[in-house]
Amino acid sequence: MNYFKTLGLTAALLMGTSGMAFAQAKTIAGGSEVDMVLLPKFLGILVFDQANEGAQEAHAELANPGDLLFQGPTPENSVAGQIEIVTTAATNGVGAVMISNNAGDQITPAAEAAQAAGAKVVTWDSPIPSGAGEDIFVAQVDFGSIGVVMADMALSITGGSGQFAVLSATPDAANQNAWIEAMKAALAADAKYAGLELVDVVYGDDQAEVSYNRALALVDSYPDLKLIMAPTTVGIQAAAKAMQDEGLCDTVKTSGLGLPSEMVSYTLNGCAPEFALWDFRDLGYLTYYTAYGLATGQLTGEIGETFTAGRMGDFTVEADPGREGAKRILMGPFTVYNAENVEAAAK
Amino acid sequence: MNALKAGLVKLQSWEGFLLVVLIFIILMNASLTDNFLSVGNQMNLFMLSIEKIIVALVMTFVIINAEIDLSVGSMMGLSACAFGWMFQQGVDPVLAIGICLLIGLVGGFINGWFVARVGLPSLVVTLATLIGYRGLARVLVEDRGIGDFPQWFNDLGQKGLIGPVPFGLIAFVILFIGLYVVLQRSGFGRKTYVIGTNREVADFAGIDTGRVKIVIFVMSGLVSAFAGLLFAARVGAVRGDVANGFELDIITMVLLGGVSIFGGTGTLVGTLLAILIVLNLRNGMALLNITGHIQTGVVGLLLIASVLVPRIKLPTVKAKEVT
Repeated sequence: MNYFKTLGLTAALLMGTSGMAFAQAKTIAGGSEVDMVLLPKFLGILVFDQANEGAQEAHAELANPGDLLFQGPTPENSVAGQIEIVTTAATNGVGAVMISNNAGDQITPAAEAAQAAGAKVVTWDSPIPSGAGEDIFVAQVDFGSIGVVMADMALSITGGSGQFAVLSATPDAANQNAWIEAMKAALAADAKYAGLELVDVVYGDDQAEVSYNRALALVDSYPDLKLIMAPTTVGIQAAAKAMQDEGLCDTVKTSGLGLPSEMVSYTLNGCAPEFALWDFRDLGYLTYYTAYGLATGQLTGEIGETFTAGRMGDFTVEADPGREGAKRILMGPFTVYNAENVEAAAK
Repeated sequence: MNALKAGLVKLQSWEGFLLVVLIFIILMNASLTDNFLSVGNQMNLFMLSIEKIIVALVMTFVIINAEIDLSVGSMMGLSACAFGWMFQQGVDPVLAIGICLLIGLVGGFINGWFVARVGLPSLVVTLATLIGYRGLARVLVEDRGIGDFPQWFNDLGQKGLIGPVPFGLIAFVILFIGLYVVLQRSGFGRKTYVIGTNREVADFAGIDTGRVKIVIFVMSGLVSAFAGLLFAARVGAVRGDVANGFELDIITMVLLGGVSIFGGTGTLVGTLLAILIVLNLRNGMALLNITGHIQTGVVGLLLIASVLVPRIKLPTVKAKEVT
């Protein structure tokens, strides 16, 4: 029911506001007290800690007298733990829950209950696939453009042709799955990628040891493999380390989405000549501004609404092209790192 | 005076100790948090772990019988995924529920048959089916999530059935009462204890030990399948990783309840108290915004304590019981 309401609203607003895309940007005023919870997929991952730093920065900037809590489950308990944290946050009466969703649509009942209890549900990094139970998704980059960036990196690293494989996070991660699909679409769409052959997609569960072993298994299974593409910061580092440890960096390269501070040595020694990422601090910062604006009633979250997110500038609410009926705020852009710029970014 | 003495002896039992711990935790929760005692939170407290605590009740039988069933989490996953898959294929949901329960029954029988008739250790058999049943679940749904179940099905997992009390909690209470009667008041229950204490003696006494074991494993499979369906209803969608790793939390609760991993001792009341301790502890820590790692650590400490404390205390209790 809610879903269809949103859908209808979206369509109506899309028609009504398409002519005023450059409407006056709203300024978010601070000082109101709102308790907020930032929920990562699980604890112990550097990028999520960075997102928390960004959110804390915005929290201080907006002088919110309430609490900003960084709460996450342990990796082995991610799904049940996320559901539990969202449920408890609703019980505690927080104003907003910011979720990097690792529970697929299973989070929906808990998220809807949180909304019913008066909390705004903002997803970041990884959305709720159906969009039900979610007020808005703060997207790091356009999911389609991630596919093109990964396809281009594969093209330049392999020299235009050869076998490559994907080492992803968990089979259920909505963001990674969307990016892999976008990459497949990009590969099929342009003849310049015709020489590239995607031989396999495997999952390292975003755990270093599992990813490391999966990377080695890929090399054993595909003797002609030229590249491992890992759209996850855990996977890319584990794969690069595996290739380095086995002395395979000359034949099998690693690429994907990685953190400059974790990848700098592999980029400089040639194991991972090129990789890409966005800034997770910015993502946390923008997510906080969005959630704070919604929770204080300063933002309505309607399509076409434009607001200023502190130091990052203006952003506009739009329909999510990947998920019918859902709304997003697009952060962007991408940075591609190589031997020339990785050292500066790693500091 | 004698009554007081008897009361003190009772308090020295493991269940008495758990009761004191439970009361302490509840008092702490009630005084430290604002929302602990609200009806909504009390329902959430149970519902967030309802599948685990339901299976913990039958796991008590399994462990008292000196066996282990590691496949319960996978069976929950298989049942939930089979339901999702059949629903997607257009099978009537009620029929699908029936088939899922049948899967639990057969899966439990396979475990029981290999343990009781082939004579393999349950640790090995159920470790194999832990992998096997999980594999089947993953084959059925692959890497997708399946949802959009009928509203009545989701409501069973998410809404109150009698007032604010949801179906899952009612099922838990009914199952507890039923299993309590069977374990502590029936011949089958006595056989379960005797076999767990010493299987050879039970064999010589003319008990069909194999049959008892098979019945217990079938119960375990059936209840796990039921719990898996409950999980599907509660979260409104299934994936291949449903209930992954739940077996460890379930076994933890049972051991904390004073059920010996070597079989023969323990009670269903002990398990119930342990369940209430774990749930209240987790809920209190969550309401106080204590993070996941520390929660896991505290429950771990509790388990270590539960292994150590009886070793220190039990000899005196036993001496008193003898006299």
